Amino acid sequence: MTSPMSTTTNTATLPAPAGVVGMTARYALISTRTAYRNVRFLVLTVALPLLLFLLYANVYQGQSTDSGLSVTAYLMVSMASFGCIGAAINTGARVAIERQVGWNRQLRLTALPPNSYLIGKAVVSMLVTLPALILVFIAGATVGHVSLTPTEWLATGVSVWLGLIPFAVLGLVIGFAGTVDSVQPISMLTYLGLSILGGLWFPVELFPAFLQAVAKVMPSYWLADLGRSVLAGDGVPMTAVLVLAAWTVVLSVLGVVAYSRSGTKV
Amino acid sequence: MTTSNLSSALPSTTLDGAAVRLTGLHKNFGHVRAVRGIDLEIAPGEVVAFLGPNGAGKSTTIDMLLGLTRPDFGTTTVFGTRPVEAVQAGRVGAMLQGGALLPDVTVGELVSVFAALHRRPMPVSKAMELAGITDIAKQKTTKLSGGQSQRVRYALALVPDPDLLVLDEPTVAMDVEVRRSFWASMREFTASGRTVLFATHYLEEADDFADRVVVLANGVIVADGTGAEIKASVAGRTITAVVPGTHPAQFLQLPGVSNTDQQGQRMVLHCNDSDTALRALLAAYPAVHDIEISAGNLEDAFLELTATTRQEAHR
Repeated sequence: MTSPMSTTTNTATLPAPAGVVGMTARYALISTRTAYRNVRFLVLTVALPLLLFLLYANVYQGQSTDSGLSVTAYLMVSMASFGCIGAAINTGARVAIERQVGWNRQLRLTALPPNSYLIGKAVVSMLVTLPALILVFIAGATVGHVSLTPTEWLATGVSVWLGLIPFAVLGLVIGFAGTVDSVQPISMLTYLGLSILGGLWFPVELFPAFLQAVAKVMPSYWLADLGRSVLAGDGVPMTAVLVLAAWTVVLSVLGVVAYSRSGTKV
Repeated sequence: MTTSNLSSALPSTTLDGAAVRLTGLHKNFGHVRAVRGIDLEIAPGEVVAFLGPNGAGKSTTIDMLLGLTRPDFGTTTVFGTRPVEAVQAGRVGAMLQGGALLPDVTVGELVSVFAALHRRPMPVSKAMELAGITDIAKQKTTKLSGGQSQRVRYALALVPDPDLLVLDEPTVAMDVEVRRSFWASMREFTASGRTVLFATHYLEEADDFADRVVVLANGVIVADGTGAEIKASVAGRTITAVVPGTHPAQFLQLPGVSNTDQQGQRMVLHCNDSDTALRALLAAYPAVHDIEISAGNLEDAFLELTATTRQEAHR
């Protein structure tokens, strides 16, 4: 081990950076394909927000909010956020299943570094949110008569999508901290709790003062705020970006702790 | 195995020389002392069996040499590097014990995913062929029998194209025929001078397929040798006879006798060479009578060996 020759061998076997990136991408793509195969879960995270949107869109057709945004546009962002949060959190939480069957141990016998595993998983969660986002937007454009230029659609979609990063991380925190039996109720409560408290189901303005204060701490509130602001052409709100970034940092730290604690044999 | 054919089979062998080197390994889980001081060196090309009953520390030791579990004390090197480095370099393939396979995928996809996460994997089709799972490639991983799952795990161990293959109780859940074909395919794989370490609690399996058998009990190595040596030490024949006016310890001096005992009036001589022992017994003690010779039961004798250590462990 102390010989110069074995040192050379060690260096030669260290992963090349490009190899790691390629491997991470490959892992993320394959895992995404697997996640998409879980039809029941996709239907749940896509169908519920879509149905709610269609229902409300009919009721509030043609009305405007106080800020001048049409109610359907407002609801479209809320429901897209609602569906995407569900997809992101539930996908991350499924890590608990992989942990239980021992797939994590098996993955540790590959060249995939632990960081790449985590990044890959977060990428999967992000990609799995796309159906809810795109379908609710399509419903908004057609049934909801939300009319935007292609650039505005793209800007709104991308803002909401990037705003989902803390939720993808949150799902992984749950997946690494919980057990197979506990993650489903935990992720469901988190998903519904964040959606309701963040004002995705009922506008925050209808909340009592205390709950309004609570809403303004929720990442879900700022996700919808970000989406609406960009949709209305008011640009990217700094407060929303900062709050979402802060949530991402805090949850990432929690995630790393949960991940390292989950490494030991169950 | 000579040095020259070693270097041709494994060009990147480090100067450390050993494929696996475990030094002073200890591991406790709470107050359970799973591994209590293991020192072991495995040379490249050796096929070694870890033999021991459940709870002997086989899986814990294997987890440590794969880098899955950190030892409390002691060091582990694989091809002269830390286990994690050897794993990331694709030099180690392992078949882990228990657990299910990843759900929602087919067998073929699972092996492909795993191959994609290695640097220089063997072709997926080759790994599947070696493991005998080509015919079930399109089946879902959740719809497999126990034996089929084990073969899929075997394919996952092969696909990195490793220099060291570690198999933790590979034949559990396999029926006799599958077990035989499994070992045949492993032989084929190791013919090119790769190193294999497998855990088993069947002495016969260890003896049939390993060059060297390391017996573990209660977290320590209690025997280390060829299968024949282990068998001789645990399972010779037994001579019992009445020999008036003697004490069991006297018979230890006879050639071919490994251990002695007394049951009522009868002396019990455990022998590794009962023919020689009997001739010596008759010559030395003409008064001997009521002689019986029985062949020991291999598994019983093995259990006895590991059980003795268990009692010592609790002292």
